Amino acid sequence: MLHRRLYQFFIVYGIGICSLFSIKYILNLSDYVIPSPIEVWLTAVDVFMRYSVNVLDTLSVAIIGHVLSIFMAIVVGIIARLTTGIGTLIKIAAFNIQAYPIVAVAPIIFILLGDGLASRLLIASMICYFPLLLSILGILTQPVSDIEHFFQMTGRMTWQLEVKIRIFENISKLIMVITGSATLAMVGTIVAEFIAANAGIGYTIRIALYQSDLAKILVALFIIGISTSIYLVCLEWMGHMLQKKWEG
Amino acid sequence: MSQANRRQITMLIECNDLNYRYPSSQANLFRNLSCRISIPGFHALFGPSGVGKTTLAKMIAGLVEGFSGKITVHPDTGILYTYNLERLPGWSLAKDHLADITPHDRMPDLKKLTESFGIQGCLESRFSKLSLGQQNRMNLTRYLLQDFNFLIMDESLANVDEATREVIILQIKQLFPQKAFLYISHNVMEVAKFCKIILVLRSADKSPQITEIKGQNQTDQDIPDHPALEQTMLEIVHAS
Repeated sequence: MLHRRLYQFFIVYGIGICSLFSIKYILNLSDYVIPSPIEVWLTAVDVFMRYSVNVLDTLSVAIIGHVLSIFMAIVVGIIARLTTGIGTLIKIAAFNIQAYPIVAVAPIIFILLGDGLASRLLIASMICYFPLLLSILGILTQPVSDIEHFFQMTGRMTWQLEVKIRIFENISKLIMVITGSATLAMVGTIVAEFIAANAGIGYTIRIALYQSDLAKILVALFIIGISTSIYLVCLEWMGHMLQKKWEG
Repeated sequence: MSQANRRQITMLIECNDLNYRYPSSQANLFRNLSCRISIPGFHALFGPSGVGKTTLAKMIAGLVEGFSGKITVHPDTGILYTYNLERLPGWSLAKDHLADITPHDRMPDLKKLTESFGIQGCLESRFSKLSLGQQNRMNLTRYLLQDFNFLIMDESLANVDEATREVIILQIKQLFPQKAFLYISHNVMEVAKFCKIILVLRSADKSPQITEIKGQNQTDQDIPDHPALEQTMLEIVHAS
């Protein structure tokens, strides 16, 4: 699973960087615009360890933000599956809010909370929360009549059982949605750091951008890609183990 | 007369002047439909596809609303409705699920039913691993273990072979003589042979929309009366 995802990343990254060097040599651009392969390599040797630490910092914020958003989406999804006014209100609000680009709210969060961990965490959570919520809402509000009927007929249905049935029946979809939203959490954290943070790989990229140092940005992207792939593989593996254990 | 016997006679389900049409449809599914189902007894609801058997069954079970007319059910009548596409939760073995949903005092019946329905060998499996026929039997078993007076079986044995179906019906009649069943099936022979009353449902443009035919109501003790059975089958076909 890991090697397949890493291969995929190496192929995409390789195609991207080859295209960049092709443009450089075809258009005869200077090293200042697009650095030479040797310069990129030397930069990688120089900053790899430091950038790896920064990526780990970003990744840890993204993971916490991701876990928080999964938790929130499940709680809100459970409430929203109610057929009462609160459930309807939550569903309408979720559909409307998710249509708004959350990144645009990021500056307000930085103004209110400063450029520390809280802002990064909040933006990361918000960016992956709404797509997650919509998918979880879809899963939890969709009855599985073939299974639920017996429990309803015999008066055994509880909200916990209803949630369990719906999650179990959609476990593959849920794992896919959670894995997919992990990338969003990483994107959210980097965007937050890129806008106004004082730590993380997004902050490092911002500095490299001010220095117009494309080599550093390419190295940062490489480490981000690898670490994100590893995180996604971990999530897929955990989902697979959970599914295997549950389904027997 | 004991209280139980008195209750047997008074327990009845009555449908009076039912009128219903699906929200998306212009045509009436039921027009002034009236019928009576007595308890106990193994009865059938018979009719061609699309005539409204499932809808009528669901109305009686209280699962469909928005109709005019009246369905009178004795207050003590515990009605259950089961259909052949139901599934058991996939996270547990069949035996664990059955143990979870069987009331403590019905545990001896669980063993008896699994034996007589031929599903003892399936108890260590998950529901998804069973054949369709085994799934039907497993689902019906769990309903029979519940507290009910009237069980609607909507093609509950549709995937079970004919011989096994016969055994199961006879077992149900033997094990639950005080209960009532409404068996929805497309098998004329089966309903004619085993059911006490066969309600033949027709389309809304025919009057009366439902006809009551007396079935052979055979048990495992009875010797088959072939001419009478053929006569009942003819009546059912004619009525439908």
